[in-house]
Amino acid sequence: MIDGIREEVAIIDESDIILVRKTVREAATKFNYSLTDVTRIVTAASELARNIFLYAGSGVMRWRLLEGNGAKGMELIFEDRGPGITDLEQAFQEGYSTSGGLGLGLPGTQRLMDEMEIDTRVGVGTTVVVRKWQRRY
Amino acid sequence: MIEQRHLKGREPITGESISVIKIRDVLLVAMPPDPDDTTITILQEKVLAAIERYQVKGLVLDISAVQTLDSFFARVVAETAQMVVLMGAQTVIAGMQPSVAITATQLGLTLGGALTALNVDLALEIVSDAFQRRQRS
Repeated sequence: MIDGIREEVAIIDESDIILVRKTVREAATKFNYSLTDVTRIVTAASELARNIFLYAGSGVMRWRLLEGNGAKGMELIFEDRGPGITDLEQAFQEGYSTSGGLGLGLPGTQRLMDEMEIDTRVGVGTTVVVRKWQRRY
Repeated sequence: MIEQRHLKGREPITGESISVIKIRDVLLVAMPPDPDDTTITILQEKVLAAIERYQVKGLVLDISAVQTLDSFFARVVAETAQMVVLMGAQTVIAGMQPSVAITATQLGLTLGGALTALNVDLALEIVSDAFQRRQRS
């Protein structure tokens, strides 16, 4: 169990992608991210939630705040018990997709966020963790 | 305390929040701020049917209210623009917010080379210019 989880959203059907976006938008706005960063975080969340819906069928999104070394940030955790990603390197290739999509999901999401970690096991599931740190102006 | 969110038995949004207006020879479609996948897919069919029915020369897609443009939304917009061109009309995508433009570029979205305009007013001008040029040639 991860400490400090503020909210979780079950991703079961397509409309839950909207719920993930709404939840993340509210949270990121509340924690004073710039509008551009809010848009980046929400768009990344949308891509990852859709991945769960498309590839795993169902899963969950959780988020929490991070604080340490004088920096503050937001962490989103996407977890599913789907088929797992067989070839992670291939999944990160621009334009590669097994679902007929644009193949921008994973590499694009990585560019929108500051940090991204993937833990995937074939036949067990996938956990994707993304973080965005607050800019200090 | 973790807050759990899941909308059970919610009424699906089925394209009702999208307005399709015919102004002279142009179809003006205003996208809602946060459309779900079903709404976006319905929009595509609705728009193509309306172009045939009203025999318009252009489609202006007003996305000034759109807060999240993810890869699915972008793909449908690009595809729709291409389909409209095949039918003999012109598509102009109008009013993308700066934060959305930044995010879309980082994500790697291109909109498939569809014409764009700063706002609906300029988009209407582009449609009529493009049509006049095509008539002359």
